[in-house]
Amino acid sequence: MSDPSPSLHLRQRLRRGRDHLATALITAGGIGVIAALLAIGVFLVVEVVPLFWSTPTDTGHEVSWRALWLPQSYEGYDAPQHRWQPTVTSAEERPQYGMTPLVWGTLKAAAWALVIAVPLALGAAIHSAMFMSRRLRSRIKPTLELMEALPGVVIGFIAGLVLAPWVERHLAGALALVVLLPPGVLIAGWGWTRLPVRLRRCLPLGWAGLWLVPWLLLLVAAALGLAPWLEAGWFGGDLRGWLELRLGLDYASRNAMIVGLAMGFAVMPSVYALAEDALSGVPGSLGEGAQAMGATRWQTLWKVVLPAASPGVFSAVMIGAGRAVGETMIVLMASGNTALMTLSPFDGMRSMAASIAIELPEAAFGGTHYRLLLLAALALFVFTFLVNTLAEVVRARLRHRYRRLGGAP
Amino acid sequence: MSVLVQPRSTGSGPIIDFHREASCLEIEDLSLAYGDKPALRGLTLRVPRHRVTAFIGPSGCGKSTLLRALNRLHDLNEEVSHEGKVLLEGRDIHDPEVAVAELRRRVGMVFQVPNPFPMSIYDNVAFGLRLLGGMRRRQMDDVVEWALTSAALWHEVKDRLRASAWSLSGGQQQRLVIARTLAVRPEVLLLDEPASALDPISTLKIEELIRNLKSQLTLVLVTHNMQQAARVSDYTAFLQEGELVEYGPTDTLFTNPRLRRTENYITGRMA
Amino acid sequence: MMSHDLTRGEGPWPWLAAGSVALSLLMLGALLVLLAGRGLGHFWPAPVALVELENGRWLAGEAVKEARLPGAEGSGTRGRERLYRTANRDLDDGIWTWVALETIADVGYPDELVVLERRRWGDFIGRLMAVERDGRPLGEGKSAWTVLQARLVELEVLRDEQARLRRKTIMPLAARLATGPDAEASRDLARANAQLRELRAEMGRDRLVLESADGRRLEQPLVEVVRAWRPNAMSPVEKLAAWGQGVWRFLAEGPRAANTAGGVWPAIFGTVLMVLLMSVLVTPFGVLAAIYLNEVAHQGRFTRLVRIAVRNLAGVPSIVYGVFGLGVFVHGIGGSLDAWFFEEALPSPTFGTGGLLWASLTLALLTLPVVIVATEEGLARIPDQQREGALALGATRLEMLTRVVLPMATPAMLTGLILAVARAAGEVAPLMLVGVAKLAPQVPVDGDFPFLHLERKFMHLGYHIFDTAFHGGDVQAALPLVYATALLLVLVILVLNLTAIFLRHHLKVRHGALPRV
Repeated sequence: MSDPSPSLHLRQRLRRGRDHLATALITAGGIGVIAALLAIGVFLVVEVVPLFWSTPTDTGHEVSWRALWLPQSYEGYDAPQHRWQPTVTSAEERPQYGMTPLVWGTLKAAAWALVIAVPLALGAAIHSAMFMSRRLRSRIKPTLELMEALPGVVIGFIAGLVLAPWVERHLAGALALVVLLPPGVLIAGWGWTRLPVRLRRCLPLGWAGLWLVPWLLLLVAAALGLAPWLEAGWFGGDLRGWLELRLGLDYASRNAMIVGLAMGFAVMPSVYALAEDALSGVPGSLGEGAQAMGATRWQTLWKVVLPAASPGVFSAVMIGAGRAVGETMIVLMASGNTALMTLSPFDGMRSMAASIAIELPEAAFGGTHYRLLLLAALALFVFTFLVNTLAEVVRARLRHRYRRLGGAP
Repeated sequence: MSVLVQPRSTGSGPIIDFHREASCLEIEDLSLAYGDKPALRGLTLRVPRHRVTAFIGPSGCGKSTLLRALNRLHDLNEEVSHEGKVLLEGRDIHDPEVAVAELRRRVGMVFQVPNPFPMSIYDNVAFGLRLLGGMRRRQMDDVVEWALTSAALWHEVKDRLRASAWSLSGGQQQRLVIARTLAVRPEVLLLDEPASALDPISTLKIEELIRNLKSQLTLVLVTHNMQQAARVSDYTAFLQEGELVEYGPTDTLFTNPRLRRTENYITGRMA
Repeated sequence: MMSHDLTRGEGPWPWLAAGSVALSLLMLGALLVLLAGRGLGHFWPAPVALVELENGRWLAGEAVKEARLPGAEGSGTRGRERLYRTANRDLDDGIWTWVALETIADVGYPDELVVLERRRWGDFIGRLMAVERDGRPLGEGKSAWTVLQARLVELEVLRDEQARLRRKTIMPLAARLATGPDAEASRDLARANAQLRELRAEMGRDRLVLESADGRRLEQPLVEVVRAWRPNAMSPVEKLAAWGQGVWRFLAEGPRAANTAGGVWPAIFGTVLMVLLMSVLVTPFGVLAAIYLNEVAHQGRFTRLVRIAVRNLAGVPSIVYGVFGLGVFVHGIGGSLDAWFFEEALPSPTFGTGGLLWASLTLALLTLPVVIVATEEGLARIPDQQREGALALGATRLEMLTRVVLPMATPAMLTGLILAVARAAGEVAPLMLVGVAKLAPQVPVDGDFPFLHLERKFMHLGYHIFDTAFHGGDVQAALPLVYATALLLVLVILVLNLTAIFLRHHLKVRHGALPRV
């Protein structure tokens, strides 16, 4: 090739050299960063393994895999028990490392959160994908995205210090709310069909998400107003006493219900966003085909859209479960942190994440307690990683399927 | 005029009689594959200097692949493997001594979809110059003006050189891309269906531009538009399934093709 | 189905779906209104009620809330009680008083009731009887209030002077003396100290004579009074001014009285500093990794797997990152640094304990997937024609990246960074493991070399909420400030997210202008 002037030639060599150097740096840096990220899992495994290898030294007794998960007999108790009591006050006592209550607490909190979040999120997703007017939808989606960004500590604070005492004082009112809201919304729907056409045009179904809000407020007021009568009539004037007497349920101020409500609130937006994407991504041709045959929109949804989008909805729920299991601050602030193993929604619990947050700063570095908390972290890591991978794979398949059907990606 | 056909069966060596033309690019037995899917099979042809050579053929015949092989744009894709030689002014472009950046400066390329960079019109044209470096401001202004004039765009944009290139119309954008390529003084200009995304008037302007440019450099045009090839090019190569079927002066190829396959394709497409 | 009644066929279910949208909006709205109302309302000067009870007792305070007496029945005022914030901890041992509504004989709002914000013992609520200087009255009765206000202004001037003296004269001199004996400096220092003593004496001359609602007298040194106001006598405009001042002090001052009073300035500072450090760490590495994954790496099965893994790391709970930070950064790297460079300070750790650097690093790691994913999306959205265009002009890969690709991907990178910052600002759990403090006496930035103290602990808005609400002594007293802090945190995060949404929209619009076939 003909040589340009020497200075240009030099410049060219320089450019080439710089390019090679930069490529090498980017490669090294990129691999390094990604390796550092993935090192989290490796670190946890490396730190946890000695737990089962050698006899731990700090407490002088062995921790076996079985002892962690099966009930153990402790002094002062007749039957073997699951207990998590890692810190001891005196030398004679020995710490009690039963992981089962923590796992139980984690799953219980996550389950209640999903009980609240999934119906709410799926309902909202269905409404905004199928019924909502386009203009409203372009506003509602970012709003709920913002809701996702609310920090856990704020939600936990509201749940633990505002909601929990309020519900404790207005237990009947809260119950009335739960009972009254769904039929109240249905009544609104029934009433709407009875409205004159002109009025109905002012309140279209596409905007129901918005104009139902005042109606809900009305319902809330009604429920709170009715609560004392309800309590007097059915529960002998004292719902808490009634719960304790009839069902044997002890009401703790910070309990699984509160955690479920708060965490459901926190998890709901992400489930909503993913489910909505899945539902609105279903190729229009599918739904139109069904509607052309005379199906209503709800039938179309149920028979065509939902089955087509079900993997996406499933992965949305999975992601929600992953978030609920790992959420720390809300559980920490709203659950009371007692390591109980009960089914009652009115009892508190202690989750793995909350235990780590509270106990790890105090645990001796390298000791049994420290390693057990790392085991909990590893469990959280593995669980969320697997759940998210599953969700991601399912979602990728779904996207592929939609593309084949000729819909939007 | 001799008939310039290279039957595939004869394999190696150029047998095209090109006495009257000096060749700029020589492709010798070039094969290329994406992974294990062959895209070009043993192509041999010469591209004459200061002429417009058109590659035609059905979609997927490998004409764009061939074009991209001429400035090593396939280097980006690691799955692509090749055999054979491409000589630019007698030197193999795959020679490890060859700087690929310098090769691409000498063999410019214009794509199907106009791809101006998101910067001003001036900066777009000056992009390649700045890469080369060592040019003063005044000098650069002159080159930009010359390139835009050569691309027949100067009069339309001389008052708004600082405007975003994306504010131009599609046809103007494509001419801007040509100007950008001309600014670095390439010896060869590869055009990959440069007018297929444009309206008819813009297309005519581009074609006129191509005809005018051949006094300065060698042009290679890929097109699926028969009339365009007939209007613009001096030589035409017909490719099918990665093979060169027929190659010769455009007049001959279109009026009196040697092979049935060529004739079928041309008459089918022309009709 | 009747023709004019099409939607009737939909049945009841769509209404439940619509109801869940409405319910979500309602909950979000309620949360924001609650935070805004309580958080901002706290700074509004509440009227102070003078309450006469049926048993002849008097009390003065701000009404906080009402509740039903436990086990009480009936409606109206029967069976209800009201909580007053009566302050005066030095007189009453407490600042709250519950009063049954039936026992209230009369409630009035006399103008002369004053509220004093004090350095010790919290607020005072009652009457101002006199202002005295060296035992002689400066003003009594009605004139006392005007005198007090004038004196407070003078006091503020003296305080400023004192602070300036300390900062500008005494501290530099002390620093000079620390390096070695210096006769001139020690003379100057003695003079400055004398000046300081004088100022202090001047400030300590005034005393207030106060009387609580039930007639007990109290002598209060004026130096300890920060602010005084008569809420019942204030016009709405004055109240608004006082409100603005209150908000400003909340933002600009440090916490007092075990975080139940004062402001959150150190927490704001700590949060911002940590987030800034985190951004500085996460941006280059995140962008680098994204460029590697999208532009350099061989796009095969392995890269795809890595990409999914990185994506999933965004869903790993933040506490796990905290554990990693504690184990690797604090104990691992920090411990080694201590052993190598700060041996003289051992066994008390320097870097081997939670601190600003480790917190920033941990959060950088936590937000790395966010930045990588956002940048990668931005890169993937750039059409290949742009890259080929640059290459075809003879650009090397580096030139193509820096001159064409990265400028086009900047909004995406910015979006990713803002989302990362928004996430980091609200994240508390990992910080509990790697470096926040309840009350950090020293801000991590000061005039001492090396000015930025990466090993120090710092305060954080989110942790401040958690700590004040759950570990504070008097939750009721701290609650308004927790609300205000929560509101501040939410506002910061909302603004950041809105910016990200705006940028993303802007990005879409710009790419919409790309020439399309």
